Amino acid sequence: MAVKLGMVIDAASCIDCKGCQAACKVANQVPDGHWRNWIKRGDEEKAALDRQGLRFQPGNCMQCDKPTCVAACPTGATYKEAKDGVVRIDRELCIGCGQCLAACPYQARYRHPQLRVADKCDFCAERRAAGLQPACVDTCPTKARVFGDLNDPDSPAGRLLRGKASVQVVNQQSNTDPNLYYLGDPGPADWPVQAKMPTPWQFWKSLGGPALEALVGLTGLGVIAMYGRQLILGDHDQPPEHASGHPEGGDHDQHA
Amino acid sequence: MASKQFMVSRRGFLKLGVGAAATATAGGLLKARPAGAQGGLKPGFESKFTVCDMCFNKCSAIARVGDGVVRKLDPNPKFLKSRGMLCAKGNAGLHQLYDPNRLKYPLLRVGERGQGQFRRISWSEALDLAAAKMGAIAKEYTRCGMLFMAGADMQSTFVHRFAEAFGSYNVISHESNCLLSNNRAFLDTFGEVPIPDVLNSKYILMAGANRFESLVTPDSIDLMTTLREHGCKLVVLDPRYTKTAALANEYHAIRPGTDLALMLALMHVLINEGLYDKQFVAEKTYGLEQLRTHVQSYSPEWAAGQTDIPAEAIRRMARELAAAAPAAMVYPGRRSSDYANSTQIRRGFAMVNALLGNWDRPGGLTAARVVGLKGGIPLEAPFYEDNPPERVDSGQARLMFEEEGSFKLTRDAALKGEPYPIKGFFAYHVNPMQTGANRRKTIAMLNQMDFVMVMDVAMTDTAWMADLVLPSQTYLERLDPASAQQGSSACACVVQRDPVAPAMFEAQPVFFVVQELAKRLELGEHFDFTVEEFRAAQLADLPDAPQALAEDGVYYNPSRLYGVYEGKIYKTKSHKIELFNQRYAEAGLDPMPVYTAPAQPPAGQFRLVVGRNALITQSSSTSNALLLQMQPDNDLWIHPDSAARLGVKAGQRVAVTSPAGQQVLTARVTHETRPDTVYMHTGFGVMSRELAAYGRGGCIAAVLVDAVDEISGNMAMHETFVQVAAA
Amino acid sequence: MTSTPEASLRRHTKAGMFMHWFNAACWLFLLCTGLGLIDNPELRPFGPGYPAALRGLFGGGGNLLLAHWLAALLWLAVWAGFIVFYLTRHVIPFLRQVAAIQVRRDLEWMLKKQIQMMLGYRLMAVLVKPLGWDGSLPEQEYYNAGQKLAAQGIIAGALVLVATGLLMLASKYLLGPGWASLVQWSITIHYLAALFTTVLLLVHVYMAAISREERPAFISMFTGKVPADYAKHHHKLWYDQAAGGDA
Repeated sequence: MAVKLGMVIDAASCIDCKGCQAACKVANQVPDGHWRNWIKRGDEEKAALDRQGLRFQPGNCMQCDKPTCVAACPTGATYKEAKDGVVRIDRELCIGCGQCLAACPYQARYRHPQLRVADKCDFCAERRAAGLQPACVDTCPTKARVFGDLNDPDSPAGRLLRGKASVQVVNQQSNTDPNLYYLGDPGPADWPVQAKMPTPWQFWKSLGGPALEALVGLTGLGVIAMYGRQLILGDHDQPPEHASGHPEGGDHDQHA
Repeated sequence: MASKQFMVSRRGFLKLGVGAAATATAGGLLKARPAGAQGGLKPGFESKFTVCDMCFNKCSAIARVGDGVVRKLDPNPKFLKSRGMLCAKGNAGLHQLYDPNRLKYPLLRVGERGQGQFRRISWSEALDLAAAKMGAIAKEYTRCGMLFMAGADMQSTFVHRFAEAFGSYNVISHESNCLLSNNRAFLDTFGEVPIPDVLNSKYILMAGANRFESLVTPDSIDLMTTLREHGCKLVVLDPRYTKTAALANEYHAIRPGTDLALMLALMHVLINEGLYDKQFVAEKTYGLEQLRTHVQSYSPEWAAGQTDIPAEAIRRMARELAAAAPAAMVYPGRRSSDYANSTQIRRGFAMVNALLGNWDRPGGLTAARVVGLKGGIPLEAPFYEDNPPERVDSGQARLMFEEEGSFKLTRDAALKGEPYPIKGFFAYHVNPMQTGANRRKTIAMLNQMDFVMVMDVAMTDTAWMADLVLPSQTYLERLDPASAQQGSSACACVVQRDPVAPAMFEAQPVFFVVQELAKRLELGEHFDFTVEEFRAAQLADLPDAPQALAEDGVYYNPSRLYGVYEGKIYKTKSHKIELFNQRYAEAGLDPMPVYTAPAQPPAGQFRLVVGRNALITQSSSTSNALLLQMQPDNDLWIHPDSAARLGVKAGQRVAVTSPAGQQVLTARVTHETRPDTVYMHTGFGVMSRELAAYGRGGCIAAVLVDAVDEISGNMAMHETFVQVAAA
Repeated sequence: MTSTPEASLRRHTKAGMFMHWFNAACWLFLLCTGLGLIDNPELRPFGPGYPAALRGLFGGGGNLLLAHWLAALLWLAVWAGFIVFYLTRHVIPFLRQVAAIQVRRDLEWMLKKQIQMMLGYRLMAVLVKPLGWDGSLPEQEYYNAGQKLAAQGIIAGALVLVATGLLMLASKYLLGPGWASLVQWSITIHYLAALFTTVLLLVHVYMAAISREERPAFISMFTGKVPADYAKHHHKLWYDQAAGGDA
């Protein structure tokens, strides 16, 4: 089976220390005010009142199997890596149009203010290439984040996924089949939003694109038809007057 | 394309930093933050061991270095004490190294003290001046007229050595603003300060400590492990609903200052119900019968009235503790600079553990172990005849740690000029302007000095008040002595620090400063060595250490973890664990803690409690651009009922006023604090305009009243009542 | 006023011819690379193979984008130079010709030309002649009505392509997030405008290069000249003016 990189997260182990967020910021040079990962938290006020405890939920781009961000990208600058399932961004190809931003139900993407391209978690591709774990996983004090090949039952994440009941955190209207799994109760689960495909993209897909493509097709067919007729009829269809042909013009009759 | 420009700007920053440093002017060099002075792991990077200095834990870490630039700091998986982790602060260490606001050159004050007007001077000018000033103070006020203060840093030992060679007894650490009450209490019960074996514990009662927010290795990590994997029960007592409370099995919003009532009631139940470890108590402790009598009046019903914890809950806690013992503990905690009777409060913690036999066995408190690191190159300090007989702060707190001193009592003495004047101050890597309660008094103390010299990485508030400011190298640029670490079931170990990045600007290690000062003060012979030689002397008894340190970044010397005290005596007067402390009795102190109810805040006022979280280390994170993004300021936590009574709304600016002073900050209206208690994070409200946190939040030291723990001389910060009003 | 079959008229300058072929090359390159830049299962017109092959050829999507942009900028720069240097000699006269629409005449031409092309001359002789139309078309100027309409459409399409293209370029190198909505519309409109101009160019290519009748016009794009006879019959009004001037 193909490699499918993902994370299995024990939200109950998270202490909201923000180590993963700091590690990610440094490892990926994430600019001020932006984040590639997060720790969601439940309602602190409610927890303080009812004393039922609070759960912290670490997360980041979920490298979905049905990524709406990829669907929203016209150029394939955002794409799902075939070899490991990680959703990547080709910074050279991306022009920072931002269509993928609203298309992500997890709001996992931001537009890099200096590079002007979309940016998000790629499970620390540079670090993985160097044989290191993703920065957030490596640094996590309580090892709440476990990373690996979900399809490999012997990987740390695969083992965990098979051993215990796990859930995905999804928005019901846009279930993108994420590859972050949470063991047991993930804590806050109502924060993902509905993926919003951009209006221009929808217009292209449903109206503008088909209409003009049809027009091009019809014109092409017309040209082919005319050319075909020309081939079939050859030189026979000439203005009736003389073969050298000047079929137009007011002086037509003079030649008659 | 864009990314290339990005790279160029970063390289440009670094080139400026390293190369053009000499020609640049102070403060004006780095207006903009280096856009990407960190990260970007390119193939061919090097991995070098370092030791984190973002807090006191000293976790071993791996610096990923490319092109001479530290790109990332990662945990060292072989460093058991941290359980192979690096926290947010540790990750943010790069921002200290590449902080555009860091101190770059020696600076001499040109305006009034505290106005922040400095002039760049050369190192030789700075050192000549410092030596002359110190010499003059020694001449006029004796050598004890110089006060030395050094923080929890691996080179602080050189400052202590210099003070001793120079001839001043007045050396204080940061610890008397922090943990000394707890140390005193456990030392006076068990004869040593124990290490909790959190990992193997089955029941932990945590009063006041906030291990999931203020990280202590390995306790914070082990606590989660034992909760998740060993079925440990965690009971948290805190007036504030901390993250530790939120993740606990049981939480009680205890009335602040009443922990001792709870401990006495626990002992009442344990003794009266016969739940204590009878064999252990009989064999290893002293004073059970006195204690039995002592706790009779401290029933759970009585304690419930003091603590706001129901009597049945107290009774249940005692029984659950006893059921889990000896794999159980009342967690000792760390910062205990809370109340005037903090040592006695903490004695209560220690005694519950003693009754249950949570000692020297798995899951309880364990004895500290010795890794075998030596003290380095011995010092034969000169004797100065004209010196006064004692430290300036001696004879006030009954059982002060002579080697730590008391910031509070020293400051009081300096302000009075009695028993003798303190006219010079050398602070290294410590910031009492932010950590010492009652900032006004600290300012007054500094203002009466003839000479104030501060060495640090950033322009701290203390440096802001100095006459001479010296730029210190960060830990990533330094060669430091070796350091021994303790870590419960993580073995005792040694770490050391080698530079992982070239030093920037004109920053120097404090070793350079004391060596140069020693030369100028005819004390050169005491510093006639290199740090490498000092380190070699430290490691003299550990022949395997250098190789292990090179290969793993850490050296372990495995030793027995449990049963260390089998067949041994305890380092107390009775040679046993003292439930009844004989020395206290002789000194006129309560040999067993006597409860006195804490004063209640006057009508309309609140008790102010302070703390920190996983992003803040006292005040050294106030110049860290990354940490400030996660913790941009501090606010005043106030209960909704109290806020409503005052007409204060969430997000509104409020003035917090105490006899020590006033700070204005934003109100955080929340049920996470008690109606009678307000809370502030440490580390904000700075005076220094050279810090990134300038203009954010309020300063705890400016509103905390400086009460003192009468036994240890530790600062007592939670004795502060404040008024809160919309600003 | 009658012409000899051998006589020819100058119809294009060298600069004009260069611009024509330069333009053609750029349009073709931009169309091919542009289509290769669309790679989305729900949008791409030719399936995944074409963009993949093109990216392979250029060494990655980033390079393909760069090539598209560089070609577009080169095209724009040459056009800008041409417009500046040939404003009075070429550009304004050209625009005048393109804009010279006489509604009644040109509408009639368009209708009759359509019928003529659809039916062919033999059928016309059978079907149309009896209705009273001898098959002749209204006299045309330098450009016929079809050429004028196509030119207007292509100019409009080009302007839209330039505007939206520049917005996308700016998005990567200049613009903040506030422009997102405009940039997103630019992507869609750029594609639609490209298709629209492609329709017109398809007609243009057929009429000019494939259709046998227009062969002299096609040849003139290399020689610069058309036979006077051709001009007289296809662009009578221009012929009268040009030949008259020459005479």
